[in-house]
Amino acid sequence: MGIIVRDLVKTFDDKKVLDNVSFSVQDGETLGVVGFSGSGKSTLLKIISNLLYADGGAIATTAGSDVAMTFQYSALFDFLDVFHNIAFPLLERKEFKGKYTKEELKKIVKEKLALVGLEGIEDKFPSELSGGMQKRVGFARAIVTNPKTILYDEPTAGLDPVSSTLIEDYIVRLKNELNAACIVVTHQMSTITRACDNVILLYEGKIVFKGSTKEFLQGDNPYTKQFIDASLDGPMEIKSAI
Amino acid sequence: MIDIKGTITYSLVRNLFLGTKDFLIMVGNIGKDFVNVAKYIFLLRFNLKAVIEQSSRFAVDSLPITLTIVSMTSIIIAIQIAPELAKQGAEGYIGMLSGIVMIRELACIMAGFAIISMIGSSFASELASMAVGEQISAMKVLKVDPIEYLIVPRFLSGVIMMPFVFILSSFAGLICAGIVSKMTAGLSLLNYINSLWQGLYVRDILIAMLKASFFGGTIALISCSCGYSTRGGAKEVGIATTMAVVWSFLAIAVWDYVFAVIFYL
Repeated sequence: MGIIVRDLVKTFDDKKVLDNVSFSVQDGETLGVVGFSGSGKSTLLKIISNLLYADGGAIATTAGSDVAMTFQYSALFDFLDVFHNIAFPLLERKEFKGKYTKEELKKIVKEKLALVGLEGIEDKFPSELSGGMQKRVGFARAIVTNPKTILYDEPTAGLDPVSSTLIEDYIVRLKNELNAACIVVTHQMSTITRACDNVILLYEGKIVFKGSTKEFLQGDNPYTKQFIDASLDGPMEIKSAI
Repeated sequence: MIDIKGTITYSLVRNLFLGTKDFLIMVGNIGKDFVNVAKYIFLLRFNLKAVIEQSSRFAVDSLPITLTIVSMTSIIIAIQIAPELAKQGAEGYIGMLSGIVMIRELACIMAGFAIISMIGSSFASELASMAVGEQISAMKVLKVDPIEYLIVPRFLSGVIMMPFVFILSSFAGLICAGIVSKMTAGLSLLNYINSLWQGLYVRDILIAMLKASFFGGTIALISCSCGYSTRGGAKEVGIATTMAVVWSFLAIAVWDYVFAVIFYL
């Protein structure tokens, strides 16, 4: 089923941050969400992940499966080591409490860490890890319950180009492993080209482009052209967005 | 035409309105958090290990500063009253007065102030940092209720441990007052203790323990709630911590008044 978003509306202090936004993402597909700062990208993710309520519209995700989300700055629990960060939902969620033995948890955490290319760091604390490693631990924590929907909020923000490439590869890998419907909010063109199948461009809460990554990169649409060229001239007024 | 927005009156009224609005929002948040905390406690949904960890932090970590503050205050009061009472030939009342003052009022309120400064501020800044760092959002996405995981153990630690902090503080304060009375008024420790018994009632001790428990729960709840509802960045973490301290001080002063009216008026 993936993710279906219909006519989503969200208003903050009389400003429409999302204005009748509709799209769908199939299982095994990644949608890139791009736009200027303040265009409503992160708000969209927060609504899909139930962190915010929408003022109108509807969202449907695959039944019986979690919606996972990774955060811009990883949001790892700094008082817990990597093992307890990843095992956190299995240890603390009501339906999982007591379901797994210590050995089973160790095995699951090891598997998830291997999926993001990390091993032997279970005892380390987040402050002992690099930014890229923190992001990958965040990915491992997000997928520990095998979700069918994964949301990434600026997964490559603050990383060097090589680490960004690594992260983009893991986004593709996790999508394939879990056959999940993924949404990636990003500012980085490399993330769009390497990790996304389709793209939507948001401007002032509205979708001004929706199509495949190839169509997005061709830049026939004046909005996508302006975005890709990082130009001040075009239909999008920068002042109103930032 | 007069520009109303530029006037001092407009500015005062506006600030008063915004201040009242913020206050009501905060009271609403605390009330909502309390209802959720009570629900989890009623359903026995809390992590005992976390409660023990937080209790250790609440009582053990704060004990040195709490004992110091309560002892110093009792020493100062003993320095002030013991020689005066001795001059009037009322040495026999020194222990009794110390007991009444310490048990009914001083130990509890001073320990409360120490706990607010040490533990309340730390609860507030810790949760505020987690909120602005999206750790609380991450917890919600992982379907673990932050109220159950973060606030309930802290609230219970306050309710359970504050009476013990009060008892230890009172004990330390009364010992110090006895020593000072001997040094400044020449009252023997035996006479001090005999006088002390005249002013100690089980009822007073139980009321003070109940009051301490209310203080502990209130400090933990207000501090956690202020931290938990923080949005923004480093500046807001500071504001949340300040708010937690200020409102906790005010709240325990109000509780103190309520207890005095109910039990001693």
